[in-house]
Amino acid sequence: MASGRAVSRINWPGLAVLALVLLAWEAVVRAGVIDFEFFPAPSAILAGGIELAKDGILLQDLLHTLLSIAIGWSIAMLIGISVGLLLGFSPLVRRYSLASIEVLRPMPGIAFAPLGLLLFGFSLQTELVVTVLPTVWPVMINTMGGIANVQPRLADVGRTFRLSRHEIIRHLLLPAALPSIIVGARISLGLALVMAIVAEIVGNPEGLGYGIVREQQALHPEAMFAYIAVVGVLGVILNAGVLGLTSLLWPATVPRRGM
Amino acid sequence: MGIRFASIRQLMSEFPSPRGLLPAIVLLVLWQIFQSGNSPYFPPPSTWWTGLIQLAAGGRLLTASVATIQTIVVGLVLAIVSGVLIGVLIGMSQQASRALGPLLEFCRAMPPPAIVPLAILFLGYDARMKLTIVALSAMWPILLNTSSAIQHIHPILLDVSTSLRLSVFERVRLIVIPSVVPAILLGIRIALPLTIVLTLLVEILTSIEGIGALMIAAQRNFQSGQVYGLLVLVGMFGFLLNNAFSIVQAVILRRWPPRNVQA
Repeated sequence: MASGRAVSRINWPGLAVLALVLLAWEAVVRAGVIDFEFFPAPSAILAGGIELAKDGILLQDLLHTLLSIAIGWSIAMLIGISVGLLLGFSPLVRRYSLASIEVLRPMPGIAFAPLGLLLFGFSLQTELVVTVLPTVWPVMINTMGGIANVQPRLADVGRTFRLSRHEIIRHLLLPAALPSIIVGARISLGLALVMAIVAEIVGNPEGLGYGIVREQQALHPEAMFAYIAVVGVLGVILNAGVLGLTSLLWPATVPRRGM
Repeated sequence: MGIRFASIRQLMSEFPSPRGLLPAIVLLVLWQIFQSGNSPYFPPPSTWWTGLIQLAAGGRLLTASVATIQTIVVGLVLAIVSGVLIGVLIGMSQQASRALGPLLEFCRAMPPPAIVPLAILFLGYDARMKLTIVALSAMWPILLNTSSAIQHIHPILLDVSTSLRLSVFERVRLIVIPSVVPAILLGIRIALPLTIVLTLLVEILTSIEGIGALMIAAQRNFQSGQVYGLLVLVGMFGFLLNNAFSIVQAVILRRWPPRNVQA
């Protein structure tokens, strides 16, 4: 919803509800209404989180996840944008490969986890395989669509002004396609976070995703909830950060309302 | 999300040229020719087929496929029902949407796989847990699209319905449903791949009956042919489900064409 505007106007009722939910949760657990062995109160989760942070292990896991998101997303952007540009500029390439891409695109990224494990074992490479493959598509498709959907008249205008082909691409077509490419990059980044967590749960015993599983198996529910909360906060920050950054740099590319 | 994807539909109209499958076919043929040995990592495509046949012979492939598809479909239906209901409630009331906004925003930004260990802890290893995870995480895009569409119904339309003294039933039928249906469909389009990913993830993690469990078992036994074969099979599931939904979507949108709700 109003992620952009939230900064300028603080949503007090929203924050109040959030606090109320946490308070009710605390009260319910304290009063013993819910008799779940594995359901810690928010205060216990906070304490567990502080414990982990003091240990330094939380920071280490956070850094690992951020690093693999950064590497995976960069690789996906590199492949996605270059192949997307190629597809966008050349109808011939498009005709002879789009069907192959459309067959590969709906493949669920998680399905590559067993393949990654087969090839690389439990390692960062497996994590990158699982992260990169699904995140390539939004960038690639949006880059291709952005270029291919530029009004043909724009190129005609360039030719009228006797711009070279290189100048037309650089000064007219690329800027026109930029909003679409940025939207693709944003979708990819969100996906990269999800897939990095998935990969850490399944294929690479490091990072926040592994932290969740590790604490679950060690029967430390406070620590597990703390990891989940950190992952959620990371998601919110990445979302808001990218949205804020793009609205600052390229205001035209941000949808009028959040979503 | 998914807003610019209309552009691919335009490209699709020039696309159904099967010539585009050529690179994939050439690659597979070259792979088959140059990998004649029994490579444990890159087995030739013919072994993918024999791997699948092995699994199918025991009847395991069929039961696993049925279990996986059942989870995807039932989970998606649950997600649609709950997402639309809550989305309508939130969309109707400005206060509710403002009050619940941050909470929902946090739940939406939470990467769905993070709740898998949580659900396992609470619900144990069973089909109920699988469905809960799939429904919970696929619900958000549907919920947010629905509530946003209701909030964007043009006020004049509501004024008109008041002046014409439409009954509540007519108001819903004539104004709310046509405005909301395209948005719900868009939400489902985003949710569908998510349900597939999560179903497989749960199966891989917990080895509960399903294609995901077969994949991870094949990997653990170094049956690389089976791993690749199942990968292709899963890809075909994704392809078929996505296209089936595209057809359903096209049919429904013919009945309720999208309006410019942003107006």
